[in-house]
Amino acid sequence: MARTPTLTFDRGTLILHPPPRGKAWMDYATWDDRVEKFRIPAIRYRSLVEALQAEDVYFIDEAKEFYPVDLVPSLEMEPYPHQSEALAAWKLAGRQGVVVLPTAAGKTYLAQMAMQSTPRTTLIVVPTLDLMHQWYAHLEAAFPDAEVGLLGGGSRDRTAILVATYDSAAIHAETLGNLYALIIFDECHHLPTDFGRVIAEYAIAPYRLGLSATPERTDGKHADLNILIGPEVYRKRAEDLAGKALAEHEIIQIKVKLSQLERERYNELIQTRNDFLRQSKISLGSIQGWQMFVQMSARSQAGRRAMLAHREAKEIALGTDGKLRILADLLAEHFPARILIFTADNATVYSISQQLLIPAITHQTPVKERHEILTKFREGEYNTLVASHVLNEGVDVPAASVAIILSGTGSTREYIQRLGRVLRKGNIENKQAILYEVVAEDTSEERTSARRRGEKRAGGAGEAEGAGGAGDAGEAGEAGGERKKPGNLQVVYGRGKGRSDKAAEQLEINYSTQNKKSQIKNSDVTDRVTESSPKRRRNHPKETED
Amino acid sequence: MLPTELLSHRQNGEEIIPKRLKIDDKNQALATELINCFQAAMGKTQGVLERQLLDLEGDATDYRVKRGLAYIIKSNFCTFEVVSPLEPPMLRERVFTLAARSVPSKESTQVTLTQVADQLSQELEREVLLEQVRDGLYADLTENKILTDFNAPTPVDILNRYNLSQVQGIFYKASQLILNAHRNVPGEYKLLFRYLKLFQLMAYIEGDADHGFTITVDGPTSLFNPSTRYGLAIAKLIPALLHVTKWSLSATLQTRDVYTNTWKTGRFTLNSECGLVSHYSKGKPYDSMLEASFADKWDALKTDWTLEREVDLLPIPGSVMIPDFRLVHPDGRSFLLEIVGYWRPEYLQKKFSQVRRSGCDNLILAISERLNLEKAGVKLNNVPARIVWFKDKLLPKAVLTVID
Repeated sequence: MARTPTLTFDRGTLILHPPPRGKAWMDYATWDDRVEKFRIPAIRYRSLVEALQAEDVYFIDEAKEFYPVDLVPSLEMEPYPHQSEALAAWKLAGRQGVVVLPTAAGKTYLAQMAMQSTPRTTLIVVPTLDLMHQWYAHLEAAFPDAEVGLLGGGSRDRTAILVATYDSAAIHAETLGNLYALIIFDECHHLPTDFGRVIAEYAIAPYRLGLSATPERTDGKHADLNILIGPEVYRKRAEDLAGKALAEHEIIQIKVKLSQLERERYNELIQTRNDFLRQSKISLGSIQGWQMFVQMSARSQAGRRAMLAHREAKEIALGTDGKLRILADLLAEHFPARILIFTADNATVYSISQQLLIPAITHQTPVKERHEILTKFREGEYNTLVASHVLNEGVDVPAASVAIILSGTGSTREYIQRLGRVLRKGNIENKQAILYEVVAEDTSEERTSARRRGEKRAGGAGEAEGAGGAGDAGEAGEAGGERKKPGNLQVVYGRGKGRSDKAAEQLEINYSTQNKKSQIKNSDVTDRVTESSPKRRRNHPKETED
Repeated sequence: MLPTELLSHRQNGEEIIPKRLKIDDKNQALATELINCFQAAMGKTQGVLERQLLDLEGDATDYRVKRGLAYIIKSNFCTFEVVSPLEPPMLRERVFTLAARSVPSKESTQVTLTQVADQLSQELEREVLLEQVRDGLYADLTENKILTDFNAPTPVDILNRYNLSQVQGIFYKASQLILNAHRNVPGEYKLLFRYLKLFQLMAYIEGDADHGFTITVDGPTSLFNPSTRYGLAIAKLIPALLHVTKWSLSATLQTRDVYTNTWKTGRFTLNSECGLVSHYSKGKPYDSMLEASFADKWDALKTDWTLEREVDLLPIPGSVMIPDFRLVHPDGRSFLLEIVGYWRPEYLQKKFSQVRRSGCDNLILAISERLNLEKAGVKLNNVPARIVWFKDKLLPKAVLTVID
């Protein structure tokens, strides 16, 4: 008697044995000599099952270990129209697809709605530990009767609802793959990497939802989201939602002069580096140039010295005492408003935290403690926070009204994500957010910031980028004069308010200039990045900033 | 193992040659210098240690070797711990809560720290100094942790570990490993297969005992496209393989060409003459006392049959079975002997199903009478093997009677 075909899950793949009748399943299966059975990639589970069902083939499904769960929400709000529309579009697409919404447009609540309408075991993957905790807190509140667990940051739960970091989910992809019916990929542009994509590939989950404000990747791999999650089913830009969910903001750039001693040392170091680069005929303007510099620094003593000089110069530019003085000044000016301080490196974070007694969050902060710090910040017990890269993405701190970036890194996405933090409107009516960017004057760092803002040169006020047509160059001249600061601070402010707004505008040079007005106020830069040409960003790699 | 940025290799045509340090006076001196640096950092913070290591690097171009050696010492022979009379998270909570009430400045920092120190002095009824609060605030940061224990290795140990790590690093990019295991005694294959299982790898085995086996190692999804997902697990297998007497391997490597952004396929070979030293323990020579006592008794016995230990791999689909012993007669006859001792029912079911699937016709099963096979759902009538029953000890004579 012939045995019944059985489908089983094996570490990220499916095994179908013995082979069933019919032939629809053959499109998916590959003969595996190693086990003498047919094997199928897990991601094709849904197509395979549908094909078998279409041919009325009887089989036993031992692969799926997901199951229905009761998701009774205790937290129900009237959804925004865009949330209802997005949900409908996703359902219409067979519950597989990507929804693109700007930062702060309520993606978490949309996800909650998707879970309610697909009440089965769900895996949520997020890029950072902070987001993991934010989701956890939200789901605990939304579904008090459901089992919600964490994977990552020291936790290893196996619950019906599981929130995991991309890293941990990728590490455990082989064992998670058949446990969840729905996978929600938060900030889903993180998925299509060589390391992360297995979360989608090794999973049989028939339902998949991707969420992002900026799904586009400079390496073009966002096209893979079509296969890994599903097609883009809904997209709204910030302008479409402006005034409803996002706050107005202002950007002020502050230039800090290096002290006499720092300046001398800086010039000396840059001289050492540049002499070497000139002798070796290396130009740092390209990825190849930077790679060559790294290689040379491992081969010759002169190269090594040049590299060490480069590093030290960068440290001076990033950590000049002047910046700390400006910081103290800004903190005093805005006290007791809620302020976020960002720096590029952990050493500066802890130096600020220790010198000014400001709570700090870095990747080294224990998971529980960072949750507490963020809660206290939200509730007002702490009014200032200093962080490195960890708060870049999607962390919900609506209470903040001021952000201070102490040192840039030249990464557009990061810059915008940081902006997004203060752009959140929260519950405050007519909130006006301020973003300060503090850069050392006349250093390579300043050039990074300028480049990021789409200027060719730091000094090139209002100099519009040729090709893409940033537009608005004409308004540059109208910008107000420098705002003077009292006291002995060596401060050169940016070109005033009007100009500062433009700085954000110039992030995306390919943005259509037809709608000038809306670019100036209520502008959501996060959405803009989706419009910008990846090619342009590739012309400005961050190689010189390492 | 070393992180990718500390790996070094050079390329000779298609051949990849991982960096290996000669165990000579010069390199031993270098290792000694690093060991001394760690020794001197006992009781100091990791931050201080890192700065001293950086000083040691100087502006010389061999910094990657030094960094690699230091990495190996740090991750295998050192213990760093938080040392503070006060709990850092507790201190932070108190200090930051108090500090949030005033405008941040260096002056108010002093005031806040003094206040917290005073509060704690009262609560704990002992004097808490401002410096203790200040230093304890971040005592749990990696760079502030104290090197409390250093289990000093020898310079040769470190150089061996470094060389092994460099070779293991090549396998991070491996999508597949083809292993030729030659027939040899003692084989220690069990250790190898234990690790295969532990690292979730798949092995496809072909061959026989007299000619050796070809074991192809990869993972389930390798069927659909070459993936380096199993590379790290393959790298971890190498130290286990070093305990097997005679073998050679060839790995398929996937490397990305940074200029054209395309994947290239390369090859890396290694064999048992590679001179690398394993740090994995050898594994127990016998699985049980039962086997050990049986082997001892066999040696005392006068017979032409020689007893080989763990030499044969019986390939079965998706796995391999390694019988405990092989009995070889000078006239060419040979038998495999598997001792079935005290086990759970699931294990027994699997074992007998393996035996059935092996299609092996020269297998002897020695089964303990204490096992309730019927209860475990095992039927012996269709097992293609000769069976020897035993009570407490398996006697060599009982085995000889079924083969002679």
